[in-house]
Amino acid sequence: MSRSRWLLLIPLLVVAGLAAGVLLTRARALAAPKQPLPFNHRTHVGAGVQCLFCHASAMRSPVAGIPSLQMCMGCHRVMAAEEPAIQELSGYWERGEPVPWLRVDKQPDFVYFSHQPHLGAGINCESCHGAVGEMEVVHPVLRMDMGWCLECHLEQAQENVARLTDCLACHK
Amino acid sequence: MTQRISRRDFLKIAAAGTAAGLSPEVRRIALEPFVRPPEQVLPGQDTWYASTCRQCPAGCGIIVRVINGRARKIEGNPLHPLNHGKLCARGQAGLQLLYNPDRLKNAVRQAGGRGSRQFDPLPWAEALDLLAEKISTLSNPSRLAFWGGLMPDHLYLLTSRWLDAIGAPPPLLFDLHSALEGRSAASRASQLFFDTPELPLYDLARAEVTFSFGANFLETWMSPVSQNHAYGMMRQGQFGGRGFMVQFEPRLSATAASADEWVPLRPGAEGFVALALGRIIVEERLGHVGSHRPHAVLYQDVDVREMAAASEVPVESLSRLARVFADADQAVAIPGGALAGQRNGLASMLAVQALNLLVAQIGRLGGVFLSQPAPSPAMKETAHGDSFERALELIDRMKAGEVDLLLIHGANPRFELPAAAGFAQAAARVPFVVSFSPFVDETAVAADLILPDHSYLESWGYQIPAPSADRPTVSSQQPVVQPLYDTRSTAEVLLALGARFGGKAAEALPWPDEFAFLQESASALQGSSLGAYDAETQAGFWALWRQHGGWWTEKELPREPEVTGIVGQPLPIVAPSFEGEAETYPFHLYPYPSLGLSDGRGANLPWLQEMPDPMTTARWATWVELNPVTAESLGLRDDDVVRVVSPFGELEAPVVVYPGIRPDVVAIPVGQGHTDYGRFAERRGRNPLELVAPVTDPDSGALAWGATRVRLEPTGKKVELARLESLDGAGRESTGGS
Repeated sequence: MSRSRWLLLIPLLVVAGLAAGVLLTRARALAAPKQPLPFNHRTHVGAGVQCLFCHASAMRSPVAGIPSLQMCMGCHRVMAAEEPAIQELSGYWERGEPVPWLRVDKQPDFVYFSHQPHLGAGINCESCHGAVGEMEVVHPVLRMDMGWCLECHLEQAQENVARLTDCLACHK
Repeated sequence: MTQRISRRDFLKIAAAGTAAGLSPEVRRIALEPFVRPPEQVLPGQDTWYASTCRQCPAGCGIIVRVINGRARKIEGNPLHPLNHGKLCARGQAGLQLLYNPDRLKNAVRQAGGRGSRQFDPLPWAEALDLLAEKISTLSNPSRLAFWGGLMPDHLYLLTSRWLDAIGAPPPLLFDLHSALEGRSAASRASQLFFDTPELPLYDLARAEVTFSFGANFLETWMSPVSQNHAYGMMRQGQFGGRGFMVQFEPRLSATAASADEWVPLRPGAEGFVALALGRIIVEERLGHVGSHRPHAVLYQDVDVREMAAASEVPVESLSRLARVFADADQAVAIPGGALAGQRNGLASMLAVQALNLLVAQIGRLGGVFLSQPAPSPAMKETAHGDSFERALELIDRMKAGEVDLLLIHGANPRFELPAAAGFAQAAARVPFVVSFSPFVDETAVAADLILPDHSYLESWGYQIPAPSADRPTVSSQQPVVQPLYDTRSTAEVLLALGARFGGKAAEALPWPDEFAFLQESASALQGSSLGAYDAETQAGFWALWRQHGGWWTEKELPREPEVTGIVGQPLPIVAPSFEGEAETYPFHLYPYPSLGLSDGRGANLPWLQEMPDPMTTARWATWVELNPVTAESLGLRDDDVVRVVSPFGELEAPVVVYPGIRPDVVAIPVGQGHTDYGRFAERRGRNPLELVAPVTDPDSGALAWGATRVRLEPTGKKVELARLESLDGAGRESTGGS
């Protein structure tokens, strides 16, 4: 009697666990990953550095690119060199090791996404990535799923909609 | 598993696993940007660099896809006149050479003495000091010996100039791959026939009838990608009709399997067949090239019946084949590597070449041309392989204690030479041995100092393909990635030594680095009216040189050979001779180059180990191919281990019952049996060179690798070979299987 009740509880527990997991994931998907160094976007953008200064390949390549350590050190050999975080950054430079930054926004492998045509169409970085310039630690702002992509693709000029909503536009 | 997991534990583990799996943290991906970005790199965008393949001596053009500074894929260079954008499996596997986990990461010294395998890292400055000291303390520079193998031409030029300047003997170039394709013998035959050491070029693409005598030209012989391309043209009838091809050899190779007809003749009897065909053509006045009177003298001593008996090819077959050959508008006969590997090799090669003369195909479309030499005098010193005789001479000098310093580049003589040649014992008498191998191979293990060269994808260089393309060509090599480790180009080592010694050595090598030397070599071709491209400035030309992956003429430029006085005298008739009495050793040993591993240099690349042999589908091993009749007479079946005994050694390996081989021949692929050379190569299969007699063809000095007899002894053991196809008889004809 008590044993069969327990057995009945197992699937319930599993379902509850899964549900909790899914909810937690959804909640945490937009959380900021713990980066190896406390890089602050607000400071940099506030100092007048343009997005494309560091993420220089966004206009020309599928990926925006994470700046090389050489680029960081171009300023930080002199600027704020005494800050502990910059000291840590210099440590990477002296050891010749790349900083293992964690990816914030990611498309799955079955999606082909390229920054180049999006920037070429005049879309701002902020449209997709949010107000990064106001964030201390960057976290995802939007859930970049297919519905969200299509929302925008459907609003484009009529002659482009067929091409932009073709499956093969992104799943090639 | 006696330990039971309780339900409670199971639920705990499941819940923890689910929670962990769902957590976004584990799906976080680290993005590692460059510390210092390489030039021309756009993150996420690929760049294709043109360079030259160095997996065999052919010199095919390659293009390498590089993303974020990492080489990802190698393809053939579509502009290159040799390989026309195609590339073979060995070329594709070059990436595994670059990323091989067993590469040496810096210069090392064997601290515990040779063979100790205790490799102590050595800074390059100290390593060069050590080498310079060993050179300067030689009592006489003639006591230095340089053993080269697969060496790019620019490095050969620098090496020979450097050795000459310090008064040392010229480098010896000998490796097994070249010996198996009969390179030195082909060069010698070309010298006798056409009065030039350049290799003949057979116009397969436009040949109506091709008679290949032991040339496995679709596998490893000479320039296989180029020849595959030509074979495709020949078969697709782009030049009128589908070509007809006959392969004469004791074992059905993959090339023979692609032929219309396979003639399994006795080993060493290739020349006899060629002589008989010639005699029939002359005697019966076959063909349509007019009178054969001038050539009658070539065949005056030939008796067709004798030749037929000696080769075991019936007179009727010879007569029919003679008609096929003579009646064709464009016929070509190719003397291959299996001929050169016999003690009558040179005589056989001349007999085969004479067939081309007989049907007036020298210098005609679909016939024989000559390879183009270097297009510029600045590059004219190119590497021609040396004969085995020369290698034996050096071994004798080493044994006699006449060599104090041995430098080895691009060859692995301890593995590649017949064990009975005694290289290992001779090297033990040399006080100091230096290897430039990027891997710890058998020879490097017995060296005192290893100065690892870059892999070819990290190196500069150039190569004059031989045999060449249909036009003068230079294949250029450039690094496609920054060197992964603290290795150093051997050319740079030589230049550094030259600068250090000063005097003549520095005069002979006046360049500050390899790059400057190559830039100067390339610019010798600037302004040529024949080139496929040109530029006004030296920098512009250098850029185009790298972008094209070399230099070649815009148009095809055939080089017609001139036949020497050989035509005036009867062709030599030389019977093959073999090591080992026929009573004690009833079978002929037929070692053949593996399609993937070649002479064993590919054995450390897992892709090539994994690649099935095209005829037996076996892989990752050594096997012994036996005719079903032979196997049955010995009571052997597939996978039974057999002991193969020659007068010089013995080995054990599993049997592959193979209908495509003569009953008196035992074939074993070359390439396995490494004791060193990295995790993928070591302790796998056996090396058939342990059986081979260290004998030469006295006329050419070439290694007669097919002149050894063996006997077979069943062991009663069984080892299952890894094969692609099963032995149930459905996939492959297998008369010996169960």
